[in-house]
Amino acid sequence: MSEYEQKIDKIIRDQSLYQCLECGKCSASCPRQLAGKEYSPRLLAHKIIAEREDEAFIENSIWECLTCGQCGERCPSGVDFSHLILEMRTLLAGTKGLKGYRSHDGALHSWMRLMTSPNLQQERLGWIDTRVRVAAYGKLAFFTGCAPYFDVFFSGIRVDTLSIVRDSVRLLNFMGIVPALLANERCCGHDLLWTGDRENFETLCRLNYHEFKAAGVEEVVVSCPECFYMLSEYMPQVVPEFDIKVTLLIELLEREMKKGGMAFRPLKRKVTFQDPCRLGRICGRYDTPRSLLSLIPEMGFREMENSGRSAVCCGNSGFINCDAYSKRIQVQRLHEAKATAADLLVTACPKCMIHLTCTMRDPIKHGSLAMEIRDLASVLADQIEWAAK
Amino acid sequence: MKPVNLLGICCNWSPYACYNAAGMARLKMPPNFRLVRVMCIGRINQALILRAFEYGADGVILLECKDEDCRYGPGPEVGHVNVQRVRKLLRLLGIGQQRLIERHFASHEKEELVRALWKFDELITALGPNPAKPRQEQEVS
Repeated sequence: MSEYEQKIDKIIRDQSLYQCLECGKCSASCPRQLAGKEYSPRLLAHKIIAEREDEAFIENSIWECLTCGQCGERCPSGVDFSHLILEMRTLLAGTKGLKGYRSHDGALHSWMRLMTSPNLQQERLGWIDTRVRVAAYGKLAFFTGCAPYFDVFFSGIRVDTLSIVRDSVRLLNFMGIVPALLANERCCGHDLLWTGDRENFETLCRLNYHEFKAAGVEEVVVSCPECFYMLSEYMPQVVPEFDIKVTLLIELLEREMKKGGMAFRPLKRKVTFQDPCRLGRICGRYDTPRSLLSLIPEMGFREMENSGRSAVCCGNSGFINCDAYSKRIQVQRLHEAKATAADLLVTACPKCMIHLTCTMRDPIKHGSLAMEIRDLASVLADQIEWAAK
Repeated sequence: MKPVNLLGICCNWSPYACYNAAGMARLKMPPNFRLVRVMCIGRINQALILRAFEYGADGVILLECKDEDCRYGPGPEVGHVNVQRVRKLLRLLGIGQQRLIERHFASHEKEELVRALWKFDELITALGPNPAKPRQEQEVS
C-alpha cells in the first residue's frame, strides 16, 4: 500500500468515516445539493472508502464542499465531514497541488499569502478614531482580522466590516477594557487552511504568535468566529508553546453582564439571527448570541425556518466555490429572513455579512432582497448602557 | 545590487502598438521590464494585480488606452477602479501604494511610453525591493 493510500486510511479512521451507514442524510441536508448542484457527500464517502481508483471524482468533490458542517450535524454515525474535507484538501494540495475555484480569482488568498512575509510593516490601523480607545501593547489584545482589507476589496458592494471591529472595541471600552491592537497582526489563516494551504497557514500562526509575544499579550479577545476557531483550536497545534488565552467577545460580554451593572436600552425592531457555521456548528455557540439578544428590551426576536443547528450556510466559506448554486443558497436564505417579517438581520461573522450583502445588492433582484444587516457586536454596542441601579 | 522586477500589464491596442513601434524603432527600454499583453485592461481584476506582487514583482505598471479610445467600452474605467482599490490594499499591507501605477497612451505615443517606462524603473529602483516575498503557491491550473 502506497504512502498516499495509508494517509487516506488514517484520515478515514481519524474522522470515523468507516462508521458511515450510507444512509444519505448528509446528501439530503447538503445546501449545495439542495440548491441543485450535482454533489453528493454520501457518494464521496463511498468512493473514498471503496472506489479510490476514481480519482477524478474524489478530487472534484473534495474541492466542491462548502465545509458548512450541516452534513456532520445530521450524521447519525458522527462522521466529521468538514474536517474530513479539510484533511483531504491538505493531502491533495500536497500531492496534486491546490485546486478548486477560489472566489474573486483568489485575491483574498493572495493577500493572505503576502502576509506570510516576515518583514511586513502593515498600515492596518488607519481606521482608529476618537470613538475608540486602544493601546499599542498590553496584556489584553483585540484581534481585528481582515476587516480593513475586506472593506477596500468589497467597496463595490458597500459593506462595512470595520464597523464590527469598531463596535467590538467600543464594547470592550464600555467594560473598562482598553485593548491592544497590533499593527502587524496577520490574517488568522482560516481561508488558507480550509483551501488546503497548510504550510502558509502555519507560517501565519507562528508570525501571529510572535506578534502577540512581542506586545506582551496574555489574552486575545476575538469577535470573528473564524479567527476564534483558528486561534483557539489550531494555533496551539501549530505553536506547541502557545500559552495565550483566547476569548470570544460575546462570551466575555455574557460573563460581564451576569455580574450586573450593565443593561441594554430598548430597541423597537424585529430581529432575526443568522448563525455563522464557524460559531454554531463548529464551535457550538448557539445560545450565547440568543441570550444576549434576549436581554434587549422591546425587541422582537424571530427565528428563521432553519436556525440553530440546522441554520443554512451564507453560501460560501473560506472564499472557495462561489457560483450560481451559492447564489441560490443565499437568495433562499434571505427569503427565509424576509419570511420572519424581521427588519434587521443580525449575524456574527463578517463573511456572512459580506456574502449576504452581496446577494442583497444583486441588480437583477431589484432590491427585493434588501434588508438591514448588522453584526451582533454592533447591535449590542449601540444598546449597552449602565443599569439604573 | 540586484535589479528590481518590473511588470507591465499592457492592453493589446494603443499601448501595445506603442510598445511594438518603440521596439521597431529600437528605442532602449529598461532591461528588467517584463510585459504581459492582455486584450483589454478591463479584463484585469484586483486578484491578478495582487498575484503579480505575490509572485515577486517589485512594481507593476498598467499600460492602458485613453478612456475614450477603448475598443470595448469601459476598459480603462475598470482599470482605474481596480488600481485605486489595489493601491489601498498595498498600502494596508505595507508594500506601498506607489508600486502600482497606471499610464495611458494613444497609439502614436511610443516615445511617451518608453519615457514612462524609464521613469517607472527609476521610481521602483529608488523604492527598492518589495518587502513582501512569500513562497509561491503551488497552484495548478
